[in-house]
Amino acid sequence: MSRLDSAIRRLEAQRLCLNEAARLIDGIPGPAIEIGLGNGRSYDHLRQILPGREIFVFDRRVAAHPDCIPDSDHMILGDVRDTLDDAAARIGAPAVLAHLDVGSGRAGADTALADFIGTALTPLLAAGAIVVADQAVSAPGWRTLELPDSVPPGRYFMYKVEA
Amino acid sequence: MTRGTPPMDALRNRNNTSRLSRMIERLVTQRVCLDHAAELVRDLPGPALEIGLGKGRTYDHLRRVMPEREVFAFDRELHALPGCQPDEAHLVIGELRQTLPEALDRIGGRVALIHADIGSDDRAVDVALARFLAETLPALVRPGGVVLGDRVMPRADWVPIPLPEGVGDWPYFMYQVLQS
Repeated sequence: MSRLDSAIRRLEAQRLCLNEAARLIDGIPGPAIEIGLGNGRSYDHLRQILPGREIFVFDRRVAAHPDCIPDSDHMILGDVRDTLDDAAARIGAPAVLAHLDVGSGRAGADTALADFIGTALTPLLAAGAIVVADQAVSAPGWRTLELPDSVPPGRYFMYKVEA
Repeated sequence: MTRGTPPMDALRNRNNTSRLSRMIERLVTQRVCLDHAAELVRDLPGPALEIGLGKGRTYDHLRRVMPEREVFAFDRELHALPGCQPDEAHLVIGELRQTLPEALDRIGGRVALIHADIGSDDRAVDVALARFLAETLPALVRPGGVVLGDRVMPRADWVPIPLPEGVGDWPYFMYQVLQS
């Protein structure tokens, strides 16, 4: 499989999971969280499928396409190991959807970061919130959800935060 | 080279499509067109060229669908992903206006397939570069060879090929060089 093939598989899985998450929270009020802005593709997709919903984005720095950058109220800059802790006041309400897109390709570092984020993110989430992630995340109270049809297990990850 | 934006006229109906969706359309289109081009030149000898290596995704695809063939990659600078970088003998870094004419000695008239993925956010730059390629590539590619890319490269002696089934909603252009 080429890098072109694997990029298509990953992005298609990401889109299917984000769309499914948006469907699951349809009608339930609350903001969304994106951890890892990157070049802004998935943020751009989220704001399109979540019209009218606030989306707060965490990243170390802004390296996104200019038209995919959140306004300064919604862009939380810094290391998530520091910024998640006191983000609740800024976000203002429990979030109902979170997307973690933090993979760097270094397996050990990615797993450690994903698990840290899972634990630190949980207090920011509403009961019943949906989490979509590019890594497996183990966090207390998160139940693994089945992936949408056509997304094979292990390609992307979805969780529901239990009440 | 920066990528990701098709010509403005192709963007007109895309206001409701996210960058994520547009990237998927672009990559799917590239894959289908590259596979089709590789099939068209299957029996034609000669190397393939990737012009605009970028992250190296389509270079990696090309070398996998034509494992018996040499693939040379050209770009202004190297920022391909690890694992998608050509070896030194197949990587040509520098301004295309210099490196492509210089490649004539080595591979002139022998190339079977050229993929030119050159689009940037600057339409004027793209038009000028596509024109340069349309003037320069004929000396490299052999009769029957295929040239494809994300910008129009019109030439009287290149026959436009209809895009294969399964392409995404993304502009791509394929040509076959007339047999002499």
